[in-house]
Amino acid sequence: MKPLFSITIALLSALPTLAQDNCASAVPITAGTYVVPAVNGNQVPSPICAPNGAGASAGEWYSYTPASNYTVTINTAIGALTDSRVHVYLGGCGALACVAGDDDSGVNNTAFLTFNVAAGFTYIIAFDNRWSSNGFTFSLTESPIVIPVFSFSPLTLPAASGSGQAAVDMNGDHLDDVVRITELQVTINHQQAGGGLVQTVFPTDTADTTPYWSLAAGDLDGNGYNDLLYAGGSATFMLANADATAYIENSQTEWIFCQRSNYVDINNDGHLDAFICHDVEPNVYYLNDGQGNLTYYQGGLGDTPDGGNYGSIWVDYDNDHDVDLFIAKCRGGVGPANIDQLHRNNGDGTWTEVAALMNLADNQQSWSSAWGDYDNDGDMDVLQGASSFTNGGHKLMRNDGSTFTNVTVGSGFDNHGGQSIEWITHDFDNDGWLDVLGGGKLLRNNGDMTFSMHTVTPTNGPVGDLDNDGYLDIVNGGTVYMNALTGNNWLKVTLEGTVSNTNGIGARVEVVTQSGTQIRDIRSGDGFRYMSTLNAHFGLGQDSDVDQVIVYWPSGIVDVIDMPAINGTVHVIEGLSTGVTAVTPEATLSTYPNPAETVLYLSSSLPLRNAIATVLNTAGQPVLRSVLREATLDITGLAPGVYVLQVEQEGTWLQERFVKR
Amino acid sequence: MRSVQRSREAWGLPLASVCAIAFVACTHELVGPDATPDDAAAAPVFVDLSSLPYPALSTYRFFVGELDQLEPNTGVLPFAPINALFTDYAHKNRFVWMPAGAQASHVSDHEPLAFEEGTVLIKNFWYDNTAPDGERRIIETRLMFRRNGAWEFANYIWNPEQTEAYLDMDGAYLPIAWTDSEHGAMSTTYRIPSASECFTCHKVNTDPLPIGPKPRNLNVDMAYPDGTMNQLARWVQEGYLAPGFPSGIQATPDWMEASLPMVDRVRGYLDMQCAHCHSDERHCDYRPLRLAYQDTQDPANLGVCVLPDDPIDASVTHIVAAGDTTRSMMHLRLSSTDGAVRMPLLGRTLVHREGLALINEWISSLGPPCP
Repeated sequence: MKPLFSITIALLSALPTLAQDNCASAVPITAGTYVVPAVNGNQVPSPICAPNGAGASAGEWYSYTPASNYTVTINTAIGALTDSRVHVYLGGCGALACVAGDDDSGVNNTAFLTFNVAAGFTYIIAFDNRWSSNGFTFSLTESPIVIPVFSFSPLTLPAASGSGQAAVDMNGDHLDDVVRITELQVTINHQQAGGGLVQTVFPTDTADTTPYWSLAAGDLDGNGYNDLLYAGGSATFMLANADATAYIENSQTEWIFCQRSNYVDINNDGHLDAFICHDVEPNVYYLNDGQGNLTYYQGGLGDTPDGGNYGSIWVDYDNDHDVDLFIAKCRGGVGPANIDQLHRNNGDGTWTEVAALMNLADNQQSWSSAWGDYDNDGDMDVLQGASSFTNGGHKLMRNDGSTFTNVTVGSGFDNHGGQSIEWITHDFDNDGWLDVLGGGKLLRNNGDMTFSMHTVTPTNGPVGDLDNDGYLDIVNGGTVYMNALTGNNWLKVTLEGTVSNTNGIGARVEVVTQSGTQIRDIRSGDGFRYMSTLNAHFGLGQDSDVDQVIVYWPSGIVDVIDMPAINGTVHVIEGLSTGVTAVTPEATLSTYPNPAETVLYLSSSLPLRNAIATVLNTAGQPVLRSVLREATLDITGLAPGVYVLQVEQEGTWLQERFVKR
Repeated sequence: MRSVQRSREAWGLPLASVCAIAFVACTHELVGPDATPDDAAAAPVFVDLSSLPYPALSTYRFFVGELDQLEPNTGVLPFAPINALFTDYAHKNRFVWMPAGAQASHVSDHEPLAFEEGTVLIKNFWYDNTAPDGERRIIETRLMFRRNGAWEFANYIWNPEQTEAYLDMDGAYLPIAWTDSEHGAMSTTYRIPSASECFTCHKVNTDPLPIGPKPRNLNVDMAYPDGTMNQLARWVQEGYLAPGFPSGIQATPDWMEASLPMVDRVRGYLDMQCAHCHSDERHCDYRPLRLAYQDTQDPANLGVCVLPDDPIDASVTHIVAAGDTTRSMMHLRLSSTDGAVRMPLLGRTLVHREGLALINEWISSLGPPCP
């Protein structure tokens, strides 16, 4: 390894280099310090590998061929602190492909970039004048190679109006695509089965609003193709036609100060509805009757008169296999509008606000929250990420069943000084533990409810697997930051509802391996603004087998897939797996009295505590759902009639018919 | 008191300015038992608090004669704050009316006057030279009235015939195009606010509150039909303001007054455009800016070299990056029309070019670069 220069020696040895105005005349360099007199070369670096997009008009070009594998650092804060920007390429001048880039990571907006290089490859290093054409001095240093905890490589999409706002499948192949939107068009970069993103622009009728606050995607009309929801100053639905070759504009008339929006089957009738947080009024939603009719409602799901609703997320916090609603809230001054809410789904079309009961009624200023099972103990924990510290910092709340316990101290979030409106969780390194992206950092889950902070180039944006390598990628603007990690096993689960909504939004997916069980809820709309993949994505670490995949559908149907192949995708069609009818023959369930009026007593050969009881009407629709704490079920609220009681416990399903008087 | 007189939005509409003065002068004489049938429209203002808000604007009788001339009735006093909120280049005028015996009182120079039960604040919004016929088009009239010790809102949307305005608390959009000498042909989809939008800006904590009528905003001369006079003095003369308030009220700097120091103009501008949210106990007090005039002697409260909580755009480094507009959140917010980026979020869809130019000039003048 070459000795590192001290600053003084570096300056003395800095060589004024000759013109390096374009890629073809790039000046070969080795580790050392170099003076760029001015950024005035005639070839503008492209594609753009660093943040902050177009706007440069000149470049300066160098080439670098390392003799060994190194971790290389380029630092432009050696002399004058010029607001510089750097791009690093492979592929030769005719086919430049981004390796890395940086704009502002150094002091005073100088560029500071660390990346790994392989011996013998020629890297093109180009600076541009996005911010300044003034000269500067840079150093290139070589260090023993360090494998990064997280690593992303930028891929610049072809130019299009609009910023990347979704990473979600749009053409029904369950491969995530990139979506950019303006009021006049939907631009989709469709992921190809063999890899690659192919861009198509779909002109649309003028949308009354663009999704300037948030975007949601889901198959509203059940035709197999995802539809979009633009949430801005009102709601515009953009509906895929019968083969997703066009998008039909359907703008609603109600004024809404939209924030987070979601597709979710609020009334569990099998059809997705649209929920929208209202900034300054009670929340609103459009119920979908499945016949093409959307009906506007306001009230019942977060009724603070002056709103404060920013980040809605539909999560099954109590493991009763229906979706509950958590709302991250924010508001200046004193009043109820900034106190977070948790609306428990009672399973019968009613909701109960239980945030205070569950120790989540926090007035911290938050625009979104990241829900996931951070300790892999089978229930959803929450990171209440702060958008501002004025009413308190980030809170990591562990789900302990009957309450949430604040475990922030020592978790790493207590030392996280970054704030943001976006907080999401995914397993970005596929180690089997959910990480958190927010506050300008990617926080790696250490597996013990502590998190280590890492700086990565992409900031928050839509998340999906855009090269189908099982590692999740992040879209920022017109750039896909492809996850460059490898080495861990993974499994993707894609859903196709038949009784439930076609996306399986609201389903709970469990993956069982020798390390334990991981859970995901299928959500349309997490974080604050963006729309991320609808596929359930699981890192498996070094586990080489998956024992079972279990899908709990909103309909109550359960699918179980045994021993799926790993490092690939399991596509689960609702009700078609062997698990559906896998009722253990020896187990029994009986109820009394029959007919019953107020309380149904249950008796079973299985333990009933914590079993999930679902009451279905004769149409097969769930009308009551409850986690059993004792062997009784309160049926006071049921209309007289014939019902089926369905009890699930530890993968076993039992049914019994009863009459309510 | 400040005595410099300057040009500001006339309280009478420009098209009617000459006859307006004459007519108002007449109304003072005509309100009384001797009024002739022709003068029926000059009956006194009618505010029955228990019946408010009325379905139609004319019921209040705030204006006499043809409604669209906006000629104030007796006791309907025009006023104009030194700086006006930008609302897509709409013209505005403002009036205050109080029931007999009521008067406002001074709380502090920078807080709204304390108004008494029954007080009504009236604000009209219009465009001149609208397409296609070049006519003036009055869009809306917003009221705030004081009832049961609290402020309430009532908003009235004018009909196309300009003969009446009707109560509407749901808000509406109105596409409008107009021409003005400074900007040429302009157009927008004008937003008439709903009650919840009114409340978003007009509040402290969860209590509705006016924004404009603060002593330091009113401490300036205004041209009245009977002569030019300091507004606070005029309010006292009308019996609308309790005398005896502290002397030496510092007037808010007029952002359009080129002779003033630039930073004072910036402070005056941001005070009116932004401080209703960016102050303690207001909608956005969780962000670091404090933009009320009395708070902005401290550059940090203006955002100078302050890190944004959330950069929105990765190229932004500071709320105000000294010397560098392109790295400044304030520039990004004021130059954007994106509904989630622009500031203020409510009340504008167009860029206020003149205000942005001032802010840009100021940011560019700052130094040294933020560390």
